Amino acid sequence: MIGQLILNGFINAALLAPPAVAFTILFGILKFPNFAIGAYVTVGAFAAFAVNVQLGLPIWVAVVGAMAAGAAVAWLSDALVFKPLRGHAPVTLLVVSIAVAFILEQCVRLFYGGNVRGFDLALERPMRLWGLRITKEQLEILVISAVITLLVHLLLTYTAVGKAMRATADNPGLAEVRGIPHRRIAVFTWLLCGAIFGLSGFLAGLDLVIEPHIGWNLTIPIFAAAILGGIGSAGGALLGAILVGIAEELTVLVLPTTYKVAVGFLIITILLLFRPHGLFGQAEIKK
Amino acid sequence: MTSPRTLIEKTSLPTRRALIQGSAALAVAGLGAPSIARAADPIAIGSLTPNTGGGGPFGPNIAASHRRVVELVNGMGGVLGRPIMLFQEDSETNPEPSARAATKLINVNKVMAILGTWSSSVTLGIMPMCQERDIIQMCTSSSSDIPLRDAKRLVFNFQALSPVWGKAIAELCVQRGFKTYAIMALNNDFTKSMVDSFVAVVGKAAVVEEPFNYNGGQSSYRAEVEKLIARKPAAVFIPSYVQDFTAIYKEIFRAGYEGQVITSSLSTGPQFVQAVGKAADGIIHGFPVPPIGSPVYKEYLAEAGLKDTGQVQHPFGTAGRDQMSVLLLAIEKAGTLEAAKVGAAIHAVTTGPGKTSVTNVVDGLKALRAGKEINFNGASSSVEFDAQNQLKSRAFQLAQIKDGADTVIARLEETT
Amino acid sequence: MSAYLVAMATYVGFFMILALALNLQWGMTGMVNFGIAGFYALGAYASGILTAKAGWPVGFGMLAGAAVGAAAGALVALLSVRLRDDFLAIVTLGFAEVVRLICLNEDWLTEGPRGLKIDARPFGSVFGREDYALFYLALVATAVLAVFAVAEAIRRSPYGRVLRAIREDDVVASVLGKDVLVFRVATFAIGAMFMGLAGALFAHFIQNISPYTFLPTVSIFIWMSVIVGGAGNNKGLLVGAGVVMLILEGSRFLNDFIRVLDAEKLSSIRIILIGVLLIVILRFRPSGLMPEEKFKPTSD
Repeated sequence: MIGQLILNGFINAALLAPPAVAFTILFGILKFPNFAIGAYVTVGAFAAFAVNVQLGLPIWVAVVGAMAAGAAVAWLSDALVFKPLRGHAPVTLLVVSIAVAFILEQCVRLFYGGNVRGFDLALERPMRLWGLRITKEQLEILVISAVITLLVHLLLTYTAVGKAMRATADNPGLAEVRGIPHRRIAVFTWLLCGAIFGLSGFLAGLDLVIEPHIGWNLTIPIFAAAILGGIGSAGGALLGAILVGIAEELTVLVLPTTYKVAVGFLIITILLLFRPHGLFGQAEIKK
Repeated sequence: MTSPRTLIEKTSLPTRRALIQGSAALAVAGLGAPSIARAADPIAIGSLTPNTGGGGPFGPNIAASHRRVVELVNGMGGVLGRPIMLFQEDSETNPEPSARAATKLINVNKVMAILGTWSSSVTLGIMPMCQERDIIQMCTSSSSDIPLRDAKRLVFNFQALSPVWGKAIAELCVQRGFKTYAIMALNNDFTKSMVDSFVAVVGKAAVVEEPFNYNGGQSSYRAEVEKLIARKPAAVFIPSYVQDFTAIYKEIFRAGYEGQVITSSLSTGPQFVQAVGKAADGIIHGFPVPPIGSPVYKEYLAEAGLKDTGQVQHPFGTAGRDQMSVLLLAIEKAGTLEAAKVGAAIHAVTTGPGKTSVTNVVDGLKALRAGKEINFNGASSSVEFDAQNQLKSRAFQLAQIKDGADTVIARLEETT
Repeated sequence: MSAYLVAMATYVGFFMILALALNLQWGMTGMVNFGIAGFYALGAYASGILTAKAGWPVGFGMLAGAAVGAAAGALVALLSVRLRDDFLAIVTLGFAEVVRLICLNEDWLTEGPRGLKIDARPFGSVFGREDYALFYLALVATAVLAVFAVAEAIRRSPYGRVLRAIREDDVVASVLGKDVLVFRVATFAIGAMFMGLAGALFAHFIQNISPYTFLPTVSIFIWMSVIVGGAGNNKGLLVGAGVVMLILEGSRFLNDFIRVLDAEKLSSIRIILIGVLLIVILRFRPSGLMPEEKFKPTSD
């Protein structure tokens, strides 16, 4: 059973890793935890549903639709809300991001109500490998998640635009002086992260159930993964996601299942008490 | 969500639904608006339904039923010569906003009764303020605490208490002869007493693993499902709401569990079938049901604009119709709005033998005005109350999903 | 209508105490508390359990509610006083969720999901029904005034000034040493005590509390009240609490007159309105409706 639980933990991690990576990148330019990420995920899930079920198009088109919708709402929320409000205290912006999350989630509710939905894909029975169960769909989720995380890591580490993104995150003023077009880099970051959130919405819709709360339910585990990994590192976020994913599964061995929701929070709290900058993060001087 | 919603209805597109909602809402526009309120001193009645949250799939039907009955009665000149003014609020399936909504209904709209609460936490949550002001409550809530806390006997429950559900579903399951059960339940009051009574019945002839609870709104239910199926039970029972059950069921299916999945019908329905597709086939679900096939149930279908499919439709909308009908008949019978007298009249117009049987509010009012004693038989049940204002009995049905639709596999008829 | 206004004014009173307490914590120490609902719940459940189950008199129950809030506040502050703001936000949010899970799961103590029924009311037998509502409003209003006075006194005290001067700068704070640390923890605990008190007052007002009453949305509405009203300004956030409640409740009356929107859409629009209002106010009045007053050199 332990083996299955750990495998299940990796599937949890596969759902958490891409949005945790996107969250951590976004945090780099925003400097506050954006609670609206859950709403971007929700919009992605419903966009994929609209394309796949309502328009009857193939599932890969739905994936593109989810990414486009995620990118669009993420960018719009910056253009309409976060950019004009820059300069406010991080906590104020955090509250604003919750307001944005409310607005987006309720807009989804206005059109779709609160009921459950699913893609036009048949559920599958598992394959059995060495006594462990996994479905083809779950394998696909694992692969997609790993590829996305790797691509983002490569982008940040080796490409000019990635280096510019990191420079902007570290020190926007200095980056500007060195001729990095801050605004264009920021827009690119938003679009990239939004697309990843949209994709996460699609993956979450596959794994869970499409309803307006789907993104909100993922928000705290995503935060936990990103903080555990140390804000600002794609690899760290991936490791954080794996730890959170496995911890959520294994805790049922020692804790009543009704306290499982608290696990993400407990991990964050315990970790931060001993390593205030995350497991893999470095101390930074606050400005 | 006010569009006709049935347990077997196919999913409609949101755009079409929005249109239906818009037109339905327009059709009733003006109902209860102050302009018509000035005539003869109106009787104010509150409706507090779960239009959003966990009860979202059911609340709009209840609200619509309340409206339809009030329209009918106002068309006949109201009761006691006074028009009815209906004030409707959304409980959000949450006691916190419900308390504020009830405060408004009671103090601003001066309602004499609040109908339609669904989740037990809401019914119980507004109970102190209702009791204090002698406001009658009518609900479809299943917590066994309701009769215990209703000191003034002003709460009339149109739903079976959850121990009754658990027992009935269990009795129907016993007939299927499963040898081992595992149980996990959404962590709320509704499921807790249901699980206890379920275990008490199936436990006599089968091995039942220790039941455990889970919370809704999680990012994964894998750990819970692993625990549930670890010992390969022949059947699993999962009392839940549809949002969490859908995610859990997908996981159960993907985990390769081949045993029997049993739940309450609250967790299934057409949206569930849309969400999980063919994999839904085989699930058994049980539920207190309206008297399908009876003339009064057909009346309800006509009123709600539904086709008779032979399936359970609007399980709570029928109760909403019966709540408002019973209340208005009782007011007419009591000749006053005084809560204790109306409460007594509710028993008088619903319960007891040797009376003229009526199935709708119009016939009921006519009979009362002709000086007859009546016994109201509803679309949700025969509406016979015991001394604690609980239903004496309700029909139960166990259905199995086959090709995406419910097939009845067992029924327990009302015992009265 | 007047009875309704009295009830709503009482509700606004609970919001105001919570907002004042939050502003005390945030404005003085810079420590970000997103676990308001947790302290609120602790106060409510402590007083509710002690009066309903242990038979304590209401007054002692309420004091205990405040004390439990203070103790929990001190604990949370001690553990997390050196955390970054944004991480603290998540830790405190988690604290509130853990409190709520305990209320939900530990039936033997809290009655779990069915909710705790609380019959006891302060001076419940002295007044008639309508007078009682007025009495309770007066009680809550007194509490608001008392909390306001304490918050202002702390703000104007020498320590308060030092704290406010250094709240922007953790590096300075860490250099300043133990006294500051102790005072930050104490201030946070006092705020949490007020939140516990608000919870106790709420519990005996509503007389039936359940875990669903203390969802994170409560914390979020209080934060919105503070930001809309003007962070740092105690008078402003009283206005903010009123504005947020006005939108939450005002839309109900819309429903009585406009029947074009069904209830489900209306509850969505209500939330959207609050969100949009917050953004619009911050856009056009960046410091909220009433900005923080700058200290005059000669102030008392």
